[in-house]
Amino acid sequence: MEFKLEAHRIVSISLGKIYSARGQRGGLKLHKNLLVSLVLRTARQVYLSEPGFPPEPPPTACGPPGEESPPPPPPCAATTSTWAAGELLPPPPPPQDEAVRGGPRLPGANCEGPRPRRCCCGCSCHCAAAAGEANRATTVVVGAAASPMSHCARKRSAGERGQAGSPVKKPRREVEEGPPPGDQEDMETGNVASLISIFGSSFSGLLSKEPKGRRRAPFGRGEAAGTGTGPPTETASESGQICYDEPVLRTLNPWSTAIVAF
Amino acid sequence: LPADIISTVEFNHTGELLATGDKGGRVVIFQREQESKHQSHRRGEYNVYSTFQSHEPEFDYLKSLEIEEKINKIRWLPQQNAAYFLLSTNDKTVKLWKVSERDKRPEGYNLKDEDGRLRDPSMITMLRVPVLRPMDLMVEATPRRVFANAHTYHINSISVNSDYETYMSADDLRINLWNFEITNQSFNIVDIKPANMEELTEVITAAEFHPHHCNTFVYSSSKGTIRLCDMRTAALCDRHAKFFEEPEDPSNRSFFSEIISSISDVKFSHSGRYIMTRDYLTVKVWDLNMENRPIETYQVHDYLRSKLCSLYENDCIFDKFECVWNGSDSVIMSGSYNNFFRMFDRNTKRDVTLEASRENSKPRAVLKPRKVCVGGKRRKDEISVDSLDFSKKILHTAWHPSENIIAVAATNNLYIFQDKVN
Repeated sequence: MEFKLEAHRIVSISLGKIYSARGQRGGLKLHKNLLVSLVLRTARQVYLSEPGFPPEPPPTACGPPGEESPPPPPPCAATTSTWAAGELLPPPPPPQDEAVRGGPRLPGANCEGPRPRRCCCGCSCHCAAAAGEANRATTVVVGAAASPMSHCARKRSAGERGQAGSPVKKPRREVEEGPPPGDQEDMETGNVASLISIFGSSFSGLLSKEPKGRRRAPFGRGEAAGTGTGPPTETASESGQICYDEPVLRTLNPWSTAIVAF
Repeated sequence: LPADIISTVEFNHTGELLATGDKGGRVVIFQREQESKHQSHRRGEYNVYSTFQSHEPEFDYLKSLEIEEKINKIRWLPQQNAAYFLLSTNDKTVKLWKVSERDKRPEGYNLKDEDGRLRDPSMITMLRVPVLRPMDLMVEATPRRVFANAHTYHINSISVNSDYETYMSADDLRINLWNFEITNQSFNIVDIKPANMEELTEVITAAEFHPHHCNTFVYSSSKGTIRLCDMRTAALCDRHAKFFEEPEDPSNRSFFSEIISSISDVKFSHSGRYIMTRDYLTVKVWDLNMENRPIETYQVHDYLRSKLCSLYENDCIFDKFECVWNGSDSVIMSGSYNNFFRMFDRNTKRDVTLEASRENSKPRAVLKPRKVCVGGKRRKDEISVDSLDFSKKILHTAWHPSENIIAVAATNNLYIFQDKVN
């Protein structure tokens, strides 16, 4: 659980960095943002592979922060939940898959509801993402409470990743069976790519150089999904301040609420 | 003032001049005093020789992007006549500057008077030949070439070729080769941009020409690898002749393994036999003949390994430290935090930590070695890891080509240290 919290924290920090990179002078720093996206991907992998992860798919609600009830039209839900927990869902219908790959349309482009919100500011994607994550976080909380502590204890010893891998692999395998292997990799980093493309303007200098003027994110597919990043060996012992951008903090409230409840 | 933050430091080939570039786009050149006969026991000191504005902030209207004026790198050309030439670059544009002295001026023009005002030609009754008269020394810098519009991404390196006719500029994804005389075209020699940007996994972080072989250069990547390329094999050097990579130590795996393995600087030794790379925690020396691992690894500040998460939060983990060789390739140096910098003697395997700060550096004072206390009891002179000031970072240092004189940039201050003379 410690690693899960750490991973969560790192994901939040990384999103904050990507968000604040929009306004920086001199344009987007490709190198730095590539590194941040790699950390984001690693943290997300760890978060998803932690024990206590429920095998059942999460509810597909997707809404503004704070309101988790009204389910949007199905295409939108599938897409945003794809960002939240790509491996959990059965493969989304092809149009969404296309969008998720950072193609010409933003994810959720098909659904009317959230679309206007996405356009107005970067944090709207946080809304969608965070809300999606919140749902997963909620279910995870329930799942974690149920799982025996022995899972956590075993997970913590970094050297024993091999053995610790076995209980973890079980939920993961179920998860991975859903989408075809190739798609999983696409969704994984394609989601990050979509996230980046939503932030838009800071990347315009790079994106405008793309052929046919298609908007693509500068990062995406990393190594094969099977690199199997283990749990981090460092402990969450830092007492460093978490510095959130205000809008990020607001939209991540569902996350903190879930954790406090646990 | 943020504009005064020094962003690059470089000695010229003789060590007579030292150039610094800053965030405000200015270049300041220091010149070493000629050692006087009367004070032969005192080494020449460096005084300001010339200051000029190299780059200005620009705005790319097409992309709605501001282009920073910060000088990323300065590289000197070898001296071929009385004037000095250097290359300076910001994120997008490289400029060739000529720095020359003027100590005479012509006097006695016919058509204008001493103040420069035009004379009435009808008032001129006789002609005279203007003569050159001595004047106070004036150093002027003029931009001789501007190499622009060749980089989509941010330029991180420039390197002058040993043929002295060409040089290269490298950005995140491409490396271009220029001829000094031609500004409207350059050859692209490396291009790692993937067809689909979503497949991007690594960027170019630094590049340098071999000191003697004008066909050879290296470039480092954000994945901790170095590629050596030979321009004779192909016009586009996408295939490397050599590939240097050290296998990752699985016990050190963390969320931030990828970030800390990114190479921030690569430098050939003066001999051309070795390359040195700097990543976040270490400096490595590689033998050009051995690609599978470095021959030497030096820990700069390994005590930061357990602090990576905090350093990620405060962005320090993205700091790009440079590294330098001394003239004989026997000692290497790189910076750290708290205004500390480290030197490693490759022969004796001894290392030292020194500090560049006003309080500790009176003129002629000997620098005291510093020590960071990692855990347990802290001794009187030691500093604990948690007390380190991470806003005081030494990213840029330079070593005189033949003497033990070093230049250390600590934020907006430049320190010049010399070896104690016997």
